[in-house]
Amino acid sequence: MHDLWDRWLGVGLATLLGVATLVLTATDRLSLYINPSSSWFAVAMAVVAVGVGVAGIAMRRGLESDHGHDHGDGGAHGHGSRSAGDGSATTMHDVPGDEDSPLSPQRLAPLATATGGSLASVVVLAAWALPATTLSVDVAASRASDTPALFGGEETVELARSGDTESFGIPEWATVFASTTTPETFRGDQVELLGFVMEDPDSPDRFLLTRMVITHCAIDAQPAYLPVTDAGWQADLEAGDWVDVSGTITLTDGSLAIDPTSVTPVDQPEDPYEY
Amino acid sequence: MAKRRRSGQGRARPQRMERQAPSGAVLTRPRVARPAAPRAWTRRSLTWAAGAILAVVAAGLLLQSLPGGALPDRVQDGMTLAISVIIEAMPFVMLGVLLAVVVEVWVPSGVIERWLPRRPAMRRAALSLLGMLIPVCECGNVPFARGLLMRGFTVPDTLTFLMAAPIVNPIVIITTHQAFGFSDGILVARLLGGFAIANVIGWLYSRHPQPQTLLTSRFQAACDTPPDHVHGSRTTRSVAQMVVELRAIMPALILGAALAGAIQVVVPRDVLVSIGSDPVLSIAAMMALGVVVAICSNVDAFFAMSFASAFTPGSIVAFLLVGPLIDVKMLTLLRTTFTTRLLVGMIAVVIPSAYLIGSAVNLLA
Repeated sequence: MHDLWDRWLGVGLATLLGVATLVLTATDRLSLYINPSSSWFAVAMAVVAVGVGVAGIAMRRGLESDHGHDHGDGGAHGHGSRSAGDGSATTMHDVPGDEDSPLSPQRLAPLATATGGSLASVVVLAAWALPATTLSVDVAASRASDTPALFGGEETVELARSGDTESFGIPEWATVFASTTTPETFRGDQVELLGFVMEDPDSPDRFLLTRMVITHCAIDAQPAYLPVTDAGWQADLEAGDWVDVSGTITLTDGSLAIDPTSVTPVDQPEDPYEY
Repeated sequence: MAKRRRSGQGRARPQRMERQAPSGAVLTRPRVARPAAPRAWTRRSLTWAAGAILAVVAAGLLLQSLPGGALPDRVQDGMTLAISVIIEAMPFVMLGVLLAVVVEVWVPSGVIERWLPRRPAMRRAALSLLGMLIPVCECGNVPFARGLLMRGFTVPDTLTFLMAAPIVNPIVIITTHQAFGFSDGILVARLLGGFAIANVIGWLYSRHPQPQTLLTSRFQAACDTPPDHVHGSRTTRSVAQMVVELRAIMPALILGAALAGAIQVVVPRDVLVSIGSDPVLSIAAMMALGVVVAICSNVDAFFAMSFASAFTPGSIVAFLLVGPLIDVKMLTLLRTTFTTRLLVGMIAVVIPSAYLIGSAVNLLA
């Protein structure tokens, strides 16, 4: 059975991940994990993984660890131990955290493999079976900092100043709000933006209209947010609710905010992230 | 080594034939009706495997169409983060495994070695630029490096490649330039720093009396039984070797990613970020952040950019040096091949070096 467990942990997990990637692509949910600009590579390699999977899983049992014959060195490799029907050699090479470490004596090794292997299996099974969801508002809130992240450079601000803000989403506006040196230029601009609600730690009379921005994959997702002045928003909305906000940009004490004319609750969009 | 890969005898391994039946027929049809070496694949096993995978695809489609949200937010977020890292890294690991197999099974011995300078220091310098040619990022470098080791590359040489390639490579240069341009010398400090750290580590371990002991015994055993111990064609050996490599790498990748995901939802990031602009503490904070966030070196510059306004440039450089080399995911992957003792030694070089380079940037910028 040991050899089958080893196959599962290698080519089995790789195949299941390939399958998960393909399934997520087919159900249009891969973009909940990674930036669509690298989907082609993920999908191509998932196909390779599944191909290797068919070959690797179908391969004769024990072949990968099979000497096929005696080398005449007395089985010093201890490697044939995993091939079926050969129980003679020692099984010292079965764990990543093996006897080299003083912390993991040899007899703990099989336990460590079993635990690590099971944990890895659970995570991969989750990737395959657990319906993909968006990161929660808690993650967005924990990643919001006093110094807002920038999602563009000078050129974004330049573009905004020229009045060409048609294509601007929350990340672009957040960049403008954070980095413009001439905020008065934008006073009175009309915006309509879709995002989710996050509490503003600085003021209960405002909420932060937020989108998560993914550069590569969800672990690097960062919140882009704009303050929306709306005293008493807590009565109708909760953190995490998606809303469509129309309003005017205002300038108070040198900082920009949105004064909404309408805040309409909506369903979470199919593509909750910006990239 | 040279004789093992004679061409034209792909189906039978010339070196180790001596113990088999001396019949001439063995060379031409080695595995027909011979119980000692049955075929690697049968039609039945292939059909069975393909069918099983199709069933898994179908079940996955069904499960993914169910509504999500059954788990508590924090658990679900940790899972989402871990899975996103795995899905992002998996193609690179796959590519790394493919390249490793190419290097182990298909490239004749001596071909790569001939191109490399003889003098150890020059050879390591050349190897630290190999990342410019190999299109994998740090996760994929580990299986590729295992391939180099199996080919007979020394531990210090391979370490130099492993430590340099995540930083000295075209994609990282481009994205770091996109994020920072040449401001504050961040790009230059990152490149030169990465190159220097890699070569220092390579040099240090070249002084080690028995560098082989720095490899885990499991990996040493794998080296003792190179891919051509398996009977059969190069294709058979390639698949067998991929099975072996995936067994070593996949659990480590997944556990590393799970660890990174778990840390993200457990350790509050603002604790690190609040340390902010203090020239000394900011470097330590950003290095700690680099170790725990485990972001690919391809994009960590964009991530670091969002801290640029609050943190000193030196701390950004330290983050960009430490993250790719010794983050939690990378350490887990490296542990498949190298001993804990070696990893501790590497950390002991990388952290102070990055600290020094970061401080120098802070002084000069």
